[in-house]
Amino acid sequence: MIKLRNVYKSFGDKEVLKNISANFEQGKTNLIIGQSGSGKTVLLKSIVGLHEITKGEIIYDDVVFSQLNLKNKKKIRTEIGMVFQGGALFDSLNVEENVRYPLEMFTNMSANEKKNRVDFCLDRVNIINANKLFPSEISGGMQKRVSIARAIALNPKYLFCDEPNSGLDPKTAMVIDNLIKEITREFNITTLINTHDMNSVMEIGEKIYYFHKGEKWWVGTKEEIFNTNNKELNDFVFASELFKKIKEKNK
Amino acid sequence: MKIFYHIGRYLLLMQRVIISKPEKHSIYFKQIIREIDNLGVSSIGITAIISIFMGAVITIQTAYGIDNPFVPKYLIGVAARDSMVLEFSSTILSLILAGKVGSNIASEIGTMRVSEQIDALEIMGVNSASYLIMPKIIASVFFNPFLVIMSMSIGIFGGYLAGIFTGVVSPEDYIVGLQYSFRPYYLIYAMIKAVIFAFIIASVSSYHGYYTKGGALEVGKSSTNAVVYSSVLILLFNMILTQLLLV
Repeated sequence: MIKLRNVYKSFGDKEVLKNISANFEQGKTNLIIGQSGSGKTVLLKSIVGLHEITKGEIIYDDVVFSQLNLKNKKKIRTEIGMVFQGGALFDSLNVEENVRYPLEMFTNMSANEKKNRVDFCLDRVNIINANKLFPSEISGGMQKRVSIARAIALNPKYLFCDEPNSGLDPKTAMVIDNLIKEITREFNITTLINTHDMNSVMEIGEKIYYFHKGEKWWVGTKEEIFNTNNKELNDFVFASELFKKIKEKNK
Repeated sequence: MKIFYHIGRYLLLMQRVIISKPEKHSIYFKQIIREIDNLGVSSIGITAIISIFMGAVITIQTAYGIDNPFVPKYLIGVAARDSMVLEFSSTILSLILAGKVGSNIASEIGTMRVSEQIDALEIMGVNSASYLIMPKIIASVFFNPFLVIMSMSIGIFGGYLAGIFTGVVSPEDYIVGLQYSFRPYYLIYAMIKAVIFAFIIASVSSYHGYYTKGGALEVGKSSTNAVVYSSVLILLFNMILTQLLLV
């Protein structure tokens, strides 16, 4: 479980995150939603330690991560997997080497064990016959899947996904969403997904955090979204005609 | 005042690069070998081409500058040797490499920054500064002296060939000139400069790449800044080192 206690983050005079407290539960897909510029990515990057928070605490299973020094943060980071918006695969390494990279860096596995683990991870995300291809030679959807395979290579306890289906067609986006959900359940990990895609919310959202202007505005389940009277959330979620119709049908 | 900000940030980055312990030595070693190939071996061609022509041009220009019959011809060999050893092969070659290698380093690291590959390394628990920059610095510092020695040899040989083909100096006079009043200390001076300039090229270019913000346009700007700042620092340190080591 990841807990946030009164987290603030400022860039200069600009306060981007204001008094955020939350409990992200293990074995569930926790979704952070909100408009562009609402502080979602800053929150995710603050939780993993890419941004230093201004005030508050970030707690990973009773360890106050935000107060650790760099050396101890590194230990926690080896338990973190992250899927970036653009995949962030290493251009100079092929698919197989990308997935093997964390194993090479942080384990003493034999070559055979590493190969088996890489094969397992690639198989788990349905990447077949692409081991020797470079990131520039595969599609966006495949890059995201390889990125997920790399993220799970070290059996992480925490998985972070920053807009995992941005730039993908609806079908591939659904495949990625379901894959993340399955992996979360299968390995009982704490997953945080940052998205503004309402299809993802409806598909895999188990606990949803809505952010507005750097504040945690609303928390609930996807079923509760249809009954909320929160104006900002309604404006965000039911912006499209399709979702307006779904809401009316649900009523 | 911004210069102090950059100097401070550069020194902090170098502290992260140099002081930290590598996560896994074997991977860092592989990276160093890769960088030697990428930054050093791939520069052999351009170094050879530029050096042979520079050696030839220095020889021809010096020969045409000497129109007094009382000035011995072997001085053409002396001029070619000293020009190559003291200045061209260490300083001018480093300026050329600042363009080739410096822009390569800055654009590679800059692209990794804007495409979040550096963030991915950090989240895995890898010291990205050390992992990306240290192998480049070691590879450059290790290989640049070889390039400089090669440049000296090829440049002097280029002068020899120019002398033969244009007839401005006989091979005998040229070789006498190469040996005349030679001070081996010049080579040490050139090697010291080669090592320091290699460090400047690799570290300054890495600094500009590492702190790139934005997109493709900013990667281009970082690449340009890397070349400009590396070149200016090479010229500045050239003067300082010459004053300290030769005068």
